[in-house]
Amino acid sequence: MNNQTAKKTYTHNADQLKEYKKIGFWTRLRLRVFSVNFLVQVIWKIFRFVLLIGISYIIIYPFFTKISSSFFSATDFVDTTVKLIPKNPTLDTYKYIIIDNDYFERLFNTAWLSVLTALIQTMITAIIGYGLAKFKFKGRGLIFALVVLTMVIPQRTLMASMFMKFRYFDFYGIIGLFNQIFNPQNQEPWIDMINTHWPLLLLSLTGLGFKNGLYIFIFRQFYKGVPDELEEAAYVDGSGIFKTYFRIILPLTIPMMVTIFMFAFSWQWTDTFYSSLFYTAAGPKLLPGLIEVPSTMNTETVAKELYESAIKNTAGLLVILPLFIVFLFAQNALVEGIERSGIVG
Amino acid sequence: MNNAATNAPKAVMTQPTKKRKAALDSKKARAGWFFVLPFVVGMIAIYIPIIFDSIKISFNSLSITAGGGYKLTFVGWENYSDALFSDTEFARILTESIKQLVLDVPAIVIFALFMAIVLNQKMIGRAVFRAIFFVPVIISTGIIDSLDQDNAIYSYMSSGSIDTGGNTSSATEIISAMDVSQLLGNMVVGTELVEYVVSIVNGIFNIVNRSGVQMLVFLAGLQSINPSIYESCKIEGATPWETFWKITFPMISPMILVNAVYTVIDSFTSESNQVMSYINNVYLTASGGRVLSTAMSWIYFMLVILLLGLVALIFSSFVFYQRKD
Repeated sequence: MNNQTAKKTYTHNADQLKEYKKIGFWTRLRLRVFSVNFLVQVIWKIFRFVLLIGISYIIIYPFFTKISSSFFSATDFVDTTVKLIPKNPTLDTYKYIIIDNDYFERLFNTAWLSVLTALIQTMITAIIGYGLAKFKFKGRGLIFALVVLTMVIPQRTLMASMFMKFRYFDFYGIIGLFNQIFNPQNQEPWIDMINTHWPLLLLSLTGLGFKNGLYIFIFRQFYKGVPDELEEAAYVDGSGIFKTYFRIILPLTIPMMVTIFMFAFSWQWTDTFYSSLFYTAAGPKLLPGLIEVPSTMNTETVAKELYESAIKNTAGLLVILPLFIVFLFAQNALVEGIERSGIVG
Repeated sequence: MNNAATNAPKAVMTQPTKKRKAALDSKKARAGWFFVLPFVVGMIAIYIPIIFDSIKISFNSLSITAGGGYKLTFVGWENYSDALFSDTEFARILTESIKQLVLDVPAIVIFALFMAIVLNQKMIGRAVFRAIFFVPVIISTGIIDSLDQDNAIYSYMSSGSIDTGGNTSSATEIISAMDVSQLLGNMVVGTELVEYVVSIVNGIFNIVNRSGVQMLVFLAGLQSINPSIYESCKIEGATPWETFWKITFPMISPMILVNAVYTVIDSFTSESNQVMSYINNVYLTASGGRVLSTAMSWIYFMLVILLLGLVALIFSSFVFYQRKD
């Protein structure tokens, strides 16, 4: 591109063009290679490459240390000469975690929960985002302000009252009223939702789940970029508003939905906040509970703290391994979806 | 399109189409409510009661009754004064983390913008680099985030001995403040600036991990800039430096605002946040901790809202909006 424009400016003047042609090939090459501009570009390219490699290394290095230490045996932690490569590699850590901490049961439970909530969240936030982007109605500004509010209020602030809400679930006293009418002896006129999936499902169904405000915002920006003519043409052809959305608009949204689904899925997968809030030890076994030292494992060595840390890290690796595999396959769609999202507006 | 042909029927049809349009508009307004209905229901049934409860709880003391229920007694501002004055640790952590936040926001935004510009250039292996830079967004939340908070493995791998938390921290630092201050000793920069730069370089892992989403937002923003603007700049003979400050920066400035606000929100709602983890500990300690933690988080929330307003005010003063139509 650069070269072409340079030539173009030369061709404006016939004399200059002649001059340019007169210079030999080698001279021209030398002029180009030894110009300051070229040098700066080369230096920049090298700097850029080194920088990118360096930062990629920073991102990936923790995984290297985790992976290598997961193969360490107890003696390797005591031996200070052992660094990244274990002398007595062992799979014991994995074996104990998988068997003792019920890895596969937890994996299955979390996978089911994550897929369910992520699917619901993606669908619901897309619908809400469409409503906010394409329709003018009274109170739209207020609802959008509330969406932003859910983004800004941290989950921790609402932790205690959210627990209370779902521990003693009631819809403005209506459930309590029914209970009093039909079953006055009942001491607990509420629904206890702790240790069920209902709290998470209800939050997902109403677009109030983890970071759902962000998803609604992203979808709203996305739909604002979709030309109105598309819907208008459908309306003229006699298609209803809902049919138009589900038949015409929704298929266009799929790349964006893949991205949001990946966000929702992986954030639910590694979530510790809700799973510690809504599930007790008596509840379904989920992946966050995997991060503990197996009870039958003997960690009494000199480097006990280090050994237990390595065990927990191994459990962490086992948690993200399935996620990583999913990410590998979905990676392209993910980045492309964000790029096409038009978060920019 | 024949103008005469389309204009003539339009003049006749004006009245009915207007009516039909009005009908469609009200139908669309109703449909709009249908689309946002799930959110409205959730707001009314779950979220607003939760917020009110949360504010109410923070003014009460809570005791679990024998029947499995709970009882609230109104205590006024007691929880708030407890949090601020009785609990010495909280006030210290609060001020420290707000200070840290103020320092982190510019670092993260500048880093994200720079990396987005680099990743937007054509080069070999761009897709691979982008994929790697995106890994923290997916992985570094929740479980892994809380695991990494005090991870003995990292310091072991980099220093060779178990980090006892004493004076060994210098072993894990990339550069030390001493070297840089020697280097910059003759230049007229304050020691605060030197320390700030050093803390950023040493916290690069933290910053890289926290700037994933911002990088993506900037990438999307950069790609929306019309390439013909750059082309005309080149023809006019602008240097890359000038092009950045005169074109890229103004065009990307709305994204800078968005990212600054997002960074503030993200870092004060994240699990690794000092204040948040402290509040979490308070929550778990005793039954009285629940109300205290709620009061604490409202104090924190008000402070951050203040900070957000400030950030929005500062950044919106130089935001440039391109007229779309």
